[in-house]
Amino acid sequence: MSIGSVVRSELLKIGSVRSLCIALAAVFAATVGFSLLMSGTFTAQDMAKPDFDPLRSSFYGLNFGQVGAICFGAIAVAGEYKNGAIRVSLAAVPRRGLFYTGKIAVIGVLSLAMGMVTSVTCFVAGQILMDDRGVGIGDPGALRAVVGCGVYLALITLFSAGLGMVLRSAPAVMGILIPFLMMMSFIIGDIEDNGGVADFLPDRAGQQILLQDPTGSLGPWAGLGVLALWSGAALWAGAVVLRRRDA
Amino acid sequence: MTCIDVVNLTKEYGAARAVDELTFSVLPGRVTGFLGPNGAGKSTTMRLVLGLDRPTSGTATIGGRAYAALDDPQREVGALLDAHAAMGSRTGRDHLRILAAAGRIPRRRVDEVLEQTGIASAAGRRIRTYSLGMRQRLGIAAALLGDPRVLILDEPSNGLDPEGIIWIRELLLGLAREGRAVLVSSHLMGETASFADHLVVLGRGRLLADTGTADFIESWTTRRVRLRTTEGERLRKALAAKGFIAVQGDDGRWTVEGARVDDIGPLAAYEGIPILELAGDEPSLEQAYLALTAGEAEYTATQEA
Repeated sequence: MSIGSVVRSELLKIGSVRSLCIALAAVFAATVGFSLLMSGTFTAQDMAKPDFDPLRSSFYGLNFGQVGAICFGAIAVAGEYKNGAIRVSLAAVPRRGLFYTGKIAVIGVLSLAMGMVTSVTCFVAGQILMDDRGVGIGDPGALRAVVGCGVYLALITLFSAGLGMVLRSAPAVMGILIPFLMMMSFIIGDIEDNGGVADFLPDRAGQQILLQDPTGSLGPWAGLGVLALWSGAALWAGAVVLRRRDA
Repeated sequence: MTCIDVVNLTKEYGAARAVDELTFSVLPGRVTGFLGPNGAGKSTTMRLVLGLDRPTSGTATIGGRAYAALDDPQREVGALLDAHAAMGSRTGRDHLRILAAAGRIPRRRVDEVLEQTGIASAAGRRIRTYSLGMRQRLGIAAALLGDPRVLILDEPSNGLDPEGIIWIRELLLGLAREGRAVLVSSHLMGETASFADHLVVLGRGRLLADTGTADFIESWTTRRVRLRTTEGERLRKALAAKGFIAVQGDDGRWTVEGARVDDIGPLAAYEGIPILELAGDEPSLEQAYLALTAGEAEYTATQEA
């Protein structure tokens, strides 16, 4: 038993379940699809507005793509708890720290790779569609946003994976996380307007990095750091639950 | 030689004790039948041995080490806990490949155990299309994957067809002959009697018996002989002189409790009494088990009253 063998086993687990492959592909398809739909339908008038952000606009589909990331993280972890398959897994790898590390590493690397491919595609295709209003990778904030979008998707996946280990049910994770990430910042944001608690919500904090000119109370990297704290907290809670509770 | 040692093992779920101060060993070279009614703590004990659940107190070790401390757990212990414990959307072969990868077990073992358990032709199908018998065989294939020295199987014959039940019996006996320690739970008494050399019997989480199968049957049942004769009264007197009580049933047959065929045949011959039929009733494991658990039920009833 070593981390290498656990990683190989976890890779095979993901590759052999169709719903996981579909969820991972959906991250790309939804993010790129909705982003391009947005970028391709801007009128010259839209793009002439002073608050038009060509950078943020090319990642418009991220709000939809992150649903795929949530599903991927939740099913990859909590799917094993359905039918008690986790007992077979833990009998094969009884060292829970090793098991969890291997599993999270595989989920993290796969989601980061998919996130980066998604992000680069969105940026390149989106800027082409926006034509002369588009920005280049060398323009201020552009590279930061491309990297940030990929990391954002990976962090959301890990957030969901950690929560999956705590709740042991993929539908429960989706039922909590999808509304939480998609609606909370609208609701709280509307009440509070700008600044305050809403800026520290995982989606709003993490998406600061996509802006050409971030104006929130958190800077682009600090915002991504706040999202990383959310994900880290979920992963840590998952580790505690896995170590303490009966399988 | 690797054995399973359970010492003072206790597991509480809230106020309920699923396993209560349990101590027994599963020795190599024989099949140990693990018996007890539903809820007696058999499955809980198995999960505790595999480190899946944490004991409230006591220890369970494999060859002196806790399961989680084994370097190559799949090569030491093969387990089947629940035939449904697999992701239905995977194929049988992928399920085994994942386990092989985790335990650094060569890929060829996957094909070997698929052949050995007779599901090679279904290996490429999704597990959700398998019948219970096929899932059971897949679970056994997973247990055999690492060629382990200890096997822990929870109701392996559940869902198997008659052919499968004969197959599993031969498999278990073969594994024990190779010097492995084999622990098999079941509530099919006839089945268990056909493969278990030794029995560990639980009731309400406590150890009720830990003994050889033959001794167990011997001590919890009485032998009896049934016979037909033309001179019943003379035989009854002759038997009474030897301390046996013969009772005639409605159908004319006589029953002698506590006697063996060897006791009666020579006596009748000596007395010159014609015997038309003479048969020993071999007590079954089921009778012994029911006698034991009936006693246990009475014991717990009086204790609680």
